[in-house]
Amino acid sequence: MIIERDRAESAWYLPPIVSGLMLTLHKMIKNLLHRKEMLTLNYPEEKFEYSPRFRGNHVLTVKKDGSLRCTACMLCATACPAECITIEASEHQDPSVEKYPIKYEIDMLRCVFCGLCEEACPVDAIRMGPEWQRPGTPTDSFIYGIQELAYRPSLKGGITSDVDDQERHRYGI
Amino acid sequence: MLKCTINGKQYAVPEGASIIEAFKLAGESLAHYCWHPALSVAGVCRMCMVSIEGNPRLQIACNTMVTEGMVISNQSHAVKDSVKWVLDFHLINHPLDCPICDQAGECGLQDQYMMFGKYTPEMAMPKQRKRKVVSLGDRVVLDSERCILCSRCVRFTEEITKTHELGIFHRGDRSEIGTFNDRPLNNNYSLNTVDICPVGALTSKKFRFRQRVWFLKEKKSICPGCCTGCNIKVSYNSKGVFRVKPDCNPDVNGYWMCDEGRDLCEKTQSVDRLLKGMSKYGEEKWQEGPALKFAKQACDDLSALPSSSVALVLTAQHTCEEFEALIQSFKSKFKSKKVYYWVNRPEDFHKFDGLLLRGDRNPNTVGLLQILEREGFKSTWSELLSDLSSGATQGVIVAAPEFPSFYPDFSEKLYELSRAKVLTCLTSRPIKDRELLPGQRWLIPLKSFLEKEGTFINYRGVQQKLGTPLELVPDAMTLSDFARILSGDWLERQVEPLGSQNVINEFMKTPMRGL
Repeated sequence: MIIERDRAESAWYLPPIVSGLMLTLHKMIKNLLHRKEMLTLNYPEEKFEYSPRFRGNHVLTVKKDGSLRCTACMLCATACPAECITIEASEHQDPSVEKYPIKYEIDMLRCVFCGLCEEACPVDAIRMGPEWQRPGTPTDSFIYGIQELAYRPSLKGGITSDVDDQERHRYGI
Repeated sequence: MLKCTINGKQYAVPEGASIIEAFKLAGESLAHYCWHPALSVAGVCRMCMVSIEGNPRLQIACNTMVTEGMVISNQSHAVKDSVKWVLDFHLINHPLDCPICDQAGECGLQDQYMMFGKYTPEMAMPKQRKRKVVSLGDRVVLDSERCILCSRCVRFTEEITKTHELGIFHRGDRSEIGTFNDRPLNNNYSLNTVDICPVGALTSKKFRFRQRVWFLKEKKSICPGCCTGCNIKVSYNSKGVFRVKPDCNPDVNGYWMCDEGRDLCEKTQSVDRLLKGMSKYGEEKWQEGPALKFAKQACDDLSALPSSSVALVLTAQHTCEEFEALIQSFKSKFKSKKVYYWVNRPEDFHKFDGLLLRGDRNPNTVGLLQILEREGFKSTWSELLSDLSSGATQGVIVAAPEFPSFYPDFSEKLYELSRAKVLTCLTSRPIKDRELLPGQRWLIPLKSFLEKEGTFINYRGVQQKLGTPLELVPDAMTLSDFARILSGDWLERQVEPLGSQNVINEFMKTPMRGL
């Protein structure tokens, strides 16, 4: 849409410029006086805190003993619309655990962060956390394995799952 | 024929049919676990309840015969309520850990559970814990907790294989399937118990946890393991071939197949295969190259020899169409009568294990012999050997068996054949250097039975078609392809190397700035 203005008004360009610069000056003085309310951040030294509901990088949760909660049922891989989850299951030595993933990979460049994996998981083994920053150059570094998803340093030894096997067995599931 | 009414519709069923068979014939659905068409009636699962007009109580469909004018229904409220509570009884001790269970996706119990939506068990007592991950033998794993004691597997070992390994031990809620004194379940038909298990109690060691069943596609084919020619369903996806199940064919194999036959599909994977054309002259090293080009060169080499000195050796592990094509183009090209056939251990041909597996381990012996008889080739193996030593035969084309493991004398015979000046071996397996004498040698990769179309004729003369082909080794060719090259047609099909078929992001190929 083109807004046509009167000639005399548009010919005088100086007043709008001055009013614009006044706004800038106003914000600058306000920011200098109230530094904590400033909207801009010194990224990457400072980072914005997203809400815990934010769908960022995936986290594989762990059991109380620190092993992976995932049972390799592949429901997340089935639900994934981007087909970015690759799981290889194997037999666990403990018969009550029975099945666990020996390989769990998410291709973060393919992932569309829709959160369907989180919804599909029957045992709260995968969540989407508030982190999202992860710069990198070669493509390979964006395929996250178990180490990256469950035990990366920012998770501080892993996030414990809400679902506990012993409790489940007590309720007969 | 008896007239009966099933869910309000009139049907005619043969005399002596049970109600469950009548339902099958009518195409009506009826939940059942313990009944199997090839096994005796046990009547233990109580899922197939039906209401019969004039009968005050519900009856089980598997053990009630149809009578004239019977009016049967499984849609009434009483039946549905009964099935719901029977299901609840089944689920008293059955763990609801479907995400872990390997049967999920093809489990009868899971289907019914989802249908009736019994999410919380009504039982207040804790579940009875039983043995998990019990190895029953070389191929089968048992999970007693998941077993619903339908006794299908027990009846299978009693009635079909008559080996009596399995039984139900203990009583009440402690009953479980097991083998006496922990003797292994190692008969050659043990994996059929996994197929007929309606839940995830019996699983195959090889297939367990390797793939979820909903990721697999199915293809029908014919088992190439022996001359019985069992009908099979092959489960595969883009990552390879994962398992083989029997497909019901009452004329050939019924509902079963042997374990040896199931193992053959693994050997079609590219790790065991000859992937490229190979050539060697004298003591040189093997050279690899595209199969089409090498096949053409091999044909040129053979044509350079005097035409009567070229022989063709056929084995009975290929399809009738391939034999036909290769013999026709061999005849027109070389005008030679030297067509020989090579089978494994003819002295074993009469052997039969009483169920399915026969001593003749070629799927198409009948087909090959029919074609050779029609064409009038009667040459014997000893003639070939004497011709080779006298020099009357200088070039040999061998259609090697797809499964050399069934040919105990494979290396010996191939060594004998390599006395020829030019040997063109059409094979799907790599051949070791020491198996051949020096000379001009060509190895052309062949397709496996999963990758080609065609007909096998089994020991009784039943013609069976292999299903739609898969592609596992892109460079491989069929005997018919080779026959076309031999008769001078250059195949139009340009085989590209495997890597170029993948989609490559053009952007990623160019080096990025700053890297």
